[in-house]
Amino acid sequence: MNAPSNNHLNRRSFLQKTSAGVGAGMVLGAPNILRAAEQASNDDINVALVGFGKQGTVLFDSMKNIPGLRFQAVCDIWDNSRKKALGRIRGLKRGYTATGYSDIDEMLATEKGLDAVVVATPDFWHSPHTVKCLEAGLNVYCEKMMSNTIDGARAMVRAMEKSGKLCQIGHQRRSNPRYRFTLEELIRKKNITGQIVNINGQWNRAVKSSQDISVNPKIVPKDDVLQKYGFKNAHEFMNWRVYRDLSGGPISDLGAHQIDIYNWFLGCSPKSVFASGGNDFFTEREHFDNVMAIFDFDTPQGGVRAFYQVLTTTSAGGGFWESFMGADATVKISEIPSSSAIYRESSAPDWEPLVNAGYLKKRAALAKPKEDSNAVASYASEAPEVYDLPGGFNKPAHQPHLENFFEAVRKNDFKHLTCDARHAFESEAPIYWVNPSALRKEPIVFTEEHLSV
Amino acid sequence: MSNEESCCSNNKLGLIYGALLLRLWLGVRAIQTGIEKFSGTKMVSGTAVEIDGKANDYGLETAASIKYYAMGNYHGVPAGLYKQFEGEPLMMGWALNIYDKVLGPILLILGLTILLGIASRTSLFLLGLLYVSLTWGLILIGQDPGVAWLGTHMVLIAMALMLAEHNRFAILKKW
Repeated sequence: MNAPSNNHLNRRSFLQKTSAGVGAGMVLGAPNILRAAEQASNDDINVALVGFGKQGTVLFDSMKNIPGLRFQAVCDIWDNSRKKALGRIRGLKRGYTATGYSDIDEMLATEKGLDAVVVATPDFWHSPHTVKCLEAGLNVYCEKMMSNTIDGARAMVRAMEKSGKLCQIGHQRRSNPRYRFTLEELIRKKNITGQIVNINGQWNRAVKSSQDISVNPKIVPKDDVLQKYGFKNAHEFMNWRVYRDLSGGPISDLGAHQIDIYNWFLGCSPKSVFASGGNDFFTEREHFDNVMAIFDFDTPQGGVRAFYQVLTTTSAGGGFWESFMGADATVKISEIPSSSAIYRESSAPDWEPLVNAGYLKKRAALAKPKEDSNAVASYASEAPEVYDLPGGFNKPAHQPHLENFFEAVRKNDFKHLTCDARHAFESEAPIYWVNPSALRKEPIVFTEEHLSV
Repeated sequence: MSNEESCCSNNKLGLIYGALLLRLWLGVRAIQTGIEKFSGTKMVSGTAVEIDGKANDYGLETAASIKYYAMGNYHGVPAGLYKQFEGEPLMMGWALNIYDKVLGPILLILGLTILLGIASRTSLFLLGLLYVSLTWGLILIGQDPGVAWLGTHMVLIAMALMLAEHNRFAILKKW
């Protein structure tokens, strides 16, 4: 593996495990010897899973498709989640079992030969867990949002840079082939949008999907365990996303993905944010259920206003997407291909050469509506032509980002990461100021203090 | 009576073949229509998209759509038609809901009974009633070509009923 110390540990681990396997083989038969040899491949990346709730499961379902990963340990304070993870790992039938822990300190003290940790705990634990693992000499993939506080996120960047270990943040769109192609080829190289003057984006989620999660109190960890790990009660444990001390609320939980894309595509941070939010439906929640924010950017091409809304009370407008509006075209992109489209303004340069070279696919033109004498119609712009990306990918949405992380671990190449903690911080820092702006009902003009580590 | 007349005057082979062919056609038609209600499409990995004549470096693949069958795909009334029916004042919502759920299974069951010759007359009659109900729905939403198309099916069902006495390899023949 990448680090010499880890190699040493791997070899030691290899010897320990193969000798144990040989011993077991003498008792149980030859297949165990073969399995011991199989499980000890020195090219494997030894992974610990920290947090196996909903998101941890999503990440595991992607990781199990990536060759060369060995799931060595699982840590979760909830027996149910831990057992589920261990069962899933056993279900892979790779000839080994993982070890379960309820406490990360115990795991780090006990497990030898780990190369990487995947952190998918609640937001307020991201920073402590990531910093601990980096300081223990492990590479970390941590779910976004980096932390529930900007100081927590700062600590992660510092720990990454001090430790020299890799730390990838789970803004998975940064490794998505469709997003990367759109940015690199269509916007940067071919400049199909022309000057981007506006951005619009949303994540709208229906009330039905935004309800509190209820659980039989008998099966969650006992109160003393919950309190030890920062939860006042079972409701907080199951619904930490709606509590101010545990999460940044919908704007960080959902909005972070897309506001990250604004900053990434424009290549700079915003100059200010002005936000509004309210408890319009879920009146008892600590966090706003609906938030709208406007970011102002100064790009080398000119000013850009970027609107973003996250509504947990309606799915109107087609779920989640980001729309980059330029003088020549609008690129509407989403993780869901069917929510994506590229609209060419009638005054834009001819795109036929781009279509012929394979950069774009032109959609069949819709039938023109019947002409009528409506006076309003005469003021309307000519309808833009609609184009699509030339292809997609057939993997779970998080898989390319995890592949990128593990490739970087294998190469021990920091530059290979598509979203290291520092770049993620640059992108996430403005998001931490959305809720304060909405609470104060005033714009916040960013200074270095707001956005720097 | 000539030899030619004696050999052919009582020859029912044409009628038997006619009955069997109609039974086959109507049975297969109903079964496959029922099966199609469990069909859907999904994207699968294709080949790397070529940009400027070379495979791209981003991992973009041609989006290949394949058809597949699964219980989860079931749709009795196609979504587009369902919406149109919902807007019809004469269409009762609860009835549409039930119809949506049972249409596929009923087509499969009647298709099988007709194909296997189980209570052929009753099965054909029930299939005819089903086509009448479909016809009524299509009249509601002004789908005249569909009404005509179902009309041809009704003619075939009527012919199959007329030839029922010549049906062979059947079970519950009286029915």
